Amino acid sequence: MSTVARPFIEARSLSRTYLIGEVRVAALDDVSLAVEAGRFVAVTGASGSGKSTLLNLLGGLDTPTAGSIEVDGSLISAMDREALARYRRFGVGMIFQSFNLIAARTALENVELPLVFAGVDKKERKRRAADLLDQVGLAQRAGHRPPELSGGEQQRVAVARALANGPGLLLADEPTGNLDSRTSREIVGLLAGLNRDRGLTVVMVSHEEALVREFAHEIVRLRDGRVVATEGIS
Amino acid sequence: MRFPDAVEFALASLGKRRLRTFLTAAGVMIGIGALVSMISFGKGMQKNITRAFEASDLFTTVTVLAGGAEMPGTDPDSRRPVTKPSVRTDAVLDDAAVAALSGIPGVAMAYPDIGFPAMVGFGGEEEFRLVRVLPAAAAASRAVKIKWGRAYASDDEAGVIVSRTILRRLGEKDPAAAVGKTVRITTVSIDIGKLATLNIGAILSGQSSPVSQEAYEFPVVGVMEVSAFGGEAGMTESAVMIPPGTAKRIKRLPFSSVWDLFRMRAGTIGYSAVTVKLRSLGDLAAVRTRIHELGFATFALADQFDEITRAFYFMDMFLAAVGMIAIVVAALGIVNTMVMSILERYREIGVMKAVGASDGDIKRIFFFESGAIGLLGGVAGCLLGWAVSQVINRVVNFYAARQAGVPYVDYFAFPVWIFLGAIGFAVLVSLVAGLYPARRAARVDPVVALRHD
Repeated sequence: MSTVARPFIEARSLSRTYLIGEVRVAALDDVSLAVEAGRFVAVTGASGSGKSTLLNLLGGLDTPTAGSIEVDGSLISAMDREALARYRRFGVGMIFQSFNLIAARTALENVELPLVFAGVDKKERKRRAADLLDQVGLAQRAGHRPPELSGGEQQRVAVARALANGPGLLLADEPTGNLDSRTSREIVGLLAGLNRDRGLTVVMVSHEEALVREFAHEIVRLRDGRVVATEGIS
Repeated sequence: MRFPDAVEFALASLGKRRLRTFLTAAGVMIGIGALVSMISFGKGMQKNITRAFEASDLFTTVTVLAGGAEMPGTDPDSRRPVTKPSVRTDAVLDDAAVAALSGIPGVAMAYPDIGFPAMVGFGGEEEFRLVRVLPAAAAASRAVKIKWGRAYASDDEAGVIVSRTILRRLGEKDPAAAVGKTVRITTVSIDIGKLATLNIGAILSGQSSPVSQEAYEFPVVGVMEVSAFGGEAGMTESAVMIPPGTAKRIKRLPFSSVWDLFRMRAGTIGYSAVTVKLRSLGDLAAVRTRIHELGFATFALADQFDEITRAFYFMDMFLAAVGMIAIVVAALGIVNTMVMSILERYREIGVMKAVGASDGDIKRIFFFESGAIGLLGGVAGCLLGWAVSQVINRVVNFYAARQAGVPYVDYFAFPVWIFLGAIGFAVLVSLVAGLYPARRAARVDPVVALRHD
């Protein structure tokens, strides 16, 4: 008897509605999605199509109004706040369009942040953070604060931070949105390399379809909170 | 998140906002400073008064009164807690009674409280004063603090002890120079013979008055130091003290107040009171029982010690309540600062949550920030309270020494528990003040926070 491997990410009939004043707005409406482990999936769509909402739900930053999400066998849609925090700490790494680094802390300290909340002792987390910065090519910039770094460098720091606790899933929300085209290529290339070399599952939201087509295995298109197409790229 | 990391995060955050941290901690500092100085003032007063009482042997002093009597010179409506014998007696406090009291085991000495009004003159100045008769043994005890000269050598020595206060009032600024100089005591006496054949016409013309004045001169043998806090020294400061043998040679009225006439038993007035000095406080109960058996009432300040302690307790509570007002204001300042901090760090909180901080982690960071402000303000407040007390001490002592010649007194007491308690209290209040902001920070929605500019 053969066993069928379950998808690494499995979202079923996912809905997320927001109450704006007295109006109920559906950001996601009955979205189902399955991502195999080690795949690089790009989510595209126009502004307001629900891309970031989907990513926030997959990242455990938000909870669905209806439906379920399972990541690596864990039903995150049913988790309480404490369990979700643990999932964000160890299960997933996130990078954002605006980098979301803490300006008052150095690159090294920013990378250390997830390790602090994981309870790793100071010496060990300094070592690991320095190693991660080295992997993204920023060993020489460890002592600089984000305002002293270029956009591309800041995003590399964010990538290093996302990898700190060794998650199996990397979520990138418009990581190239604030970068020039050359740097955008470098960052997406970096994510693709992590996907390829480490077997990380990557879900990246982007509106630059031409760019993601070069690196992604699959493109999921959203419109008005619904999946309108799923395209595999050979 | 480990404890040292939470502390480090809190301190780093406070360090980034130095001015605001300083101003908020300054609020705590002022509150704690006020609290520390007020409580230490209350403790200082308690310490000084208790020490003065102990130094004056007041706790081992029992005042003996005729049965059913009240303390002399007090309003009968405002009764002092006099302990009376179970049966009212007509026992008179005469020399035989004094001898009997002296013989009670545990009694170090007993002497009658005798005082008579007189004009006291020194140099060119004269004042109406009470002259107290005090045995040489009592005058030599530690209760009478003679700083210049000596106590009189015997009960018959022709010499007086005066206080520095009286000397100042009589124009003598240098107490040491007063020793050996002469004090003039002028008394009033009644000629009973003339009183029996009272002739109003003769009295009015001044030819046959039954009242006459007698003047006596005695050298000053000793000068008492002024005491800042009560005690027997305080009660005798305004008096001139004379030995009993010498007092007998002074013609004076046979009573010092109208109250004495009410105490008359079978034509004998007796003494208004007798002071009994105990060998130790432990003898109080047994001695008092014996005194009651002799038919006399007693008054002991030791009985009132609990009442005094309770009064100090209420004073401490009142002073602490005043200090608490400042602490409450400081606590509101902390709440305000921490809420402002949440608004400023909204996005940072979102980032921390996105990388795995739990609600508890965020709560701890803000909680420790509040605690650190409290610790900082508490330590600084203790220093401020101590510094203020030193300034007050110097100013008050400067004026007290200049106005009344009172020796240096530390009006504040700083036992270690005041500092530890104040710092602990500051941290506790700050933590309580940080509860709401910490809870609010922990509930921040990371999605909203990450969108926040």
